[in-house]
Amino acid sequence: MFDWIHNLPILSIVTYLPLVGALLIIFVMKKENGEGIKRFATFVALLDLVISLPLWFEFDRDGALFQFTETASWIPSLGVEYRFGIDGIALLLVLLTTLLGVIAILSSWTAVKERQKEYYVFMLMLQTGMLGVFMALDFFLFYVFWEVMLVPMYFLIGIWGGARKLYAAIKFFLYTLVGSVLMLLGILALYFYNSTGLLGIEGLGNERTFDILKFHEIGAQIPSDLQWWIFLAFFVGFAIKVPMFPFHTWLPDAHVEAPTAGSVILAGVLLKMGTYGFVRFSLPILPEGTQALLPWMVGLSLVGIVYGGLCAMAQKDMKKLVAYSSVSHLGFVMLGIFALNSAGLNGGILQMINHGLSTGALFLLVGVIYERRHTRMISEYGGLSAKMPLFATIFLIITLSSIGLPTLNGFVGEFTILVGAFNRTWWWALVGALGIVIGAAYMLWMFQRVFFGPLNNPENENLEDLNKRELLYLMPLVILCFWIGLYPKPFFEVLEKPVDYIVRKVDPDYAANVATLPAAAELTEAAE
Amino acid sequence: MPQIPLQEFWYLLPEGFLLVAGMVLLIGSSVGKGVSSRSATMFSLAAVAATAVLVLWVASDGPGRPILAGMFVLDNYAVYWKILLLGATALTAVLSCRFVEESGYRAGEFFSLLLTATTGMLLMAGGFNLLSIWISLELMALSSYILAGYFKFETRSNEAALKYFVLGALSSGILLYGMSLLYGATGELGLVEIATALPEAAKTAPTLIAIGWLMMAIGLFFKVSAVPFHVWTPDVYVGSPTPVTAFLAVGSKAASFAVLVRIFYQAIPALAQDWQIITAAVAAVTMIWGNLAALTQNNVKRMLAYSSIGHAGYILMGVLAMSDDGLWAILFYTAAYALITLGTFGTVILLERKEYAGETYEDYAGLARRAPYLAAMMLLFMLALTGIPPTGGFFGKVYLFAAAVEAGWTWVAVVGVLTSALSLYYYFGIVVQMYFKESDETTPVPLQEPVLAAAIGFCALVTLLLGILPGPLVDLAMSSLLPLP
Repeated sequence: MFDWIHNLPILSIVTYLPLVGALLIIFVMKKENGEGIKRFATFVALLDLVISLPLWFEFDRDGALFQFTETASWIPSLGVEYRFGIDGIALLLVLLTTLLGVIAILSSWTAVKERQKEYYVFMLMLQTGMLGVFMALDFFLFYVFWEVMLVPMYFLIGIWGGARKLYAAIKFFLYTLVGSVLMLLGILALYFYNSTGLLGIEGLGNERTFDILKFHEIGAQIPSDLQWWIFLAFFVGFAIKVPMFPFHTWLPDAHVEAPTAGSVILAGVLLKMGTYGFVRFSLPILPEGTQALLPWMVGLSLVGIVYGGLCAMAQKDMKKLVAYSSVSHLGFVMLGIFALNSAGLNGGILQMINHGLSTGALFLLVGVIYERRHTRMISEYGGLSAKMPLFATIFLIITLSSIGLPTLNGFVGEFTILVGAFNRTWWWALVGALGIVIGAAYMLWMFQRVFFGPLNNPENENLEDLNKRELLYLMPLVILCFWIGLYPKPFFEVLEKPVDYIVRKVDPDYAANVATLPAAAELTEAAE
Repeated sequence: MPQIPLQEFWYLLPEGFLLVAGMVLLIGSSVGKGVSSRSATMFSLAAVAATAVLVLWVASDGPGRPILAGMFVLDNYAVYWKILLLGATALTAVLSCRFVEESGYRAGEFFSLLLTATTGMLLMAGGFNLLSIWISLELMALSSYILAGYFKFETRSNEAALKYFVLGALSSGILLYGMSLLYGATGELGLVEIATALPEAAKTAPTLIAIGWLMMAIGLFFKVSAVPFHVWTPDVYVGSPTPVTAFLAVGSKAASFAVLVRIFYQAIPALAQDWQIITAAVAAVTMIWGNLAALTQNNVKRMLAYSSIGHAGYILMGVLAMSDDGLWAILFYTAAYALITLGTFGTVILLERKEYAGETYEDYAGLARRAPYLAAMMLLFMLALTGIPPTGGFFGKVYLFAAAVEAGWTWVAVVGVLTSALSLYYYFGIVVQMYFKESDETTPVPLQEPVLAAAIGFCALVTLLLGILPGPLVDLAMSSLLPLP
């Protein structure tokens, strides 16, 4: 049905379409025409989603690991190439990004009233940056997108944010920048190890390249102490992004001060860039480093799960509560990934998507109520279920999805993660389960305080229920929550091959038991 | 003394031409009412363009050969720097045009001095003998001292000139003394001859050589304003007329780096083990101090002064790597840095036209609203100075770090990346003002000087291009390397 996308550089189109839209807005549209700009921006984001959807249908589940690859020479003398391609993991994240992009832009229609032109320009540029991160198969290109994306996010928080927006914006930018520059040194170390060598260690003498698949291939040959250092460099970059305890302190500030759409993108997509980094780079390239630092990784994940949950419980501000719940949920994702087995990775990656859907929706819902009442304090509310039944229903569904109730998406992800963790070490799963209990406690408690009880705050008397636009952007998330919850098979099918590949790379015992690994060249479909 | 064939003097045609052009301008400006700023600018641009053509023409005739009994050399390395320096001078001339005109000072002498300073820089880039290098450096320095004090009725300008002169003379003295010690030890002044004589001389006069190269290095660190020899920089940058500040931050610094690298790599490579340690320490301290001090400034020119100190540290990281990667990264980064810095100062000048506006952060308040394109370009420059893609600044910095990692100076690279992340804070001080603050002034910034605006636009465009398609300049830089031992 969608054969035609094979004849196009479809990934580049999906990536740069929002940028083109942003440029058109800059140069063609007048800033007074706010109405037109937001409609056009929505159209561009929607078009991008529509163009990206065929990827889901045309992605060959049994085919090559990386598909829709595009390769072009960029800086030949340095081995920097323009390489795009997606595997099942990236496919899901790309679709999540294009979907949340439309939703975030739709949710801003009435929330953003000033400087609309700049706002939608930055939103669209952010889309391009994030999509590029998930598609890049060249480490240099990856890094470029990884950093470029910080700039629009900085402005989104800094211009349209809350009271402490300047502080939150620069904190976000500085924190992530410090992490990424250290990661850059790790990338450079890999680059030189593959070619001429560094620090007196003899290199492999290959052509200079930033090709990620090449790095996957040479990963096992890297000496252990170098692996250890590179892992640490990557760790700082990715862990800040995730964020893992104790690097999470930028997150509550950024989330609380960001405008609703900014929080949705932050929680939904940006945090995933960190976990994606671990899955794509740290594990397959640095198996020994991963094994060596495994106790630390799992330890920090477990602390994050419990600590994030306990912090969330103590919050009076709904948005802050959701922000801390992200720390806890991302701890879960990390636990799954560092279980280093099939179940754990599958669950961890699926939970990345789940968290994007549920937490994205939670931020949207908090945004809805904030737009009406201009407060996010839980104590200001109570008894809303009578006034806003539709809102309460959706809020409940999403709450349950976030807690991990069976039939909803969160359950599938968390359960699979726990299976994976249990297979490694039983008490990891125990601590994880404790996290779920804490999660249920703070989420349900918040729901109870906001929606039940008497409606005794007079300012809540005239609250209006969801309007059509709000319903429109919330429904896809609700549907997806049910879909993943009831029938997750298509998602696991997409993940099967890449997860298998990573597990074999990172776990030598596993690799020894199963057939030998195919070379990277076979894994990449010829870019025709 | 070897016989010098007379026709070899033709190889100095570009420098000679530029010097004569400067003299012509000087004489022309003393006739009658002098020349207007506009015609002086036009004349300088024409002279610089013609010189660039001559440089390329002369270079096409046997590059790589030392000429005039080894006084100068015509290798690709020299040609690269000469073109870079001429470009910087041309942009400085454009930046100066309106500025000098409005100041009411005589224009002819200003541009004449600009041309003589550039002549000195070109000779520095080709210098192959300690003596010729020192004399060229003095030609540049003496012209710059006067330029720094050109606004003679401004106290700040006087102060700048005096400080620059006293400290500059001191550093030149130290440099010269170091050179003479090295001459005493080796009996040679030519760079390659020194390199050859050094191992033998090291046996007989190790102390002399050690003190000699160290003093020479200190003199050069002064010129590139590396910590702790940077103390002159902030005051001189703030007090000088802003186009002169831009010229010092770009031209003077680039020419000094050209000489520093040339001497380190071609005269004393045998001492690499020693000077690498010193350079590593100086680079680290320079990056840390330059960036930390920039954090606390509330005057934009002063902040840019400290930032230029910090950037000297990044370039020194390439020097100490002593590899092809380090060298081309220096060449690439200096070009990118020149464009970014000139664009930034161009913006300051555009805002400054009302007295000293443009010097405090608050002068940038609400710029995004008053002049969205100018603000966007300034944002690009700030991103480039921080080293964030897609800009030439990012690309250059990455490979400076890469060179340090490759050569095993990882700790210096770590200091480098962390300070460069830190620098975001003060560069974005301007961005915060431009985009997040409102200004009482709602009138748009008058872009009545289309040439200046075009120059800023050019710098922004090339900065962006160097970030997206750096390939051509990388290749050019890679073909302009010095031979490494």
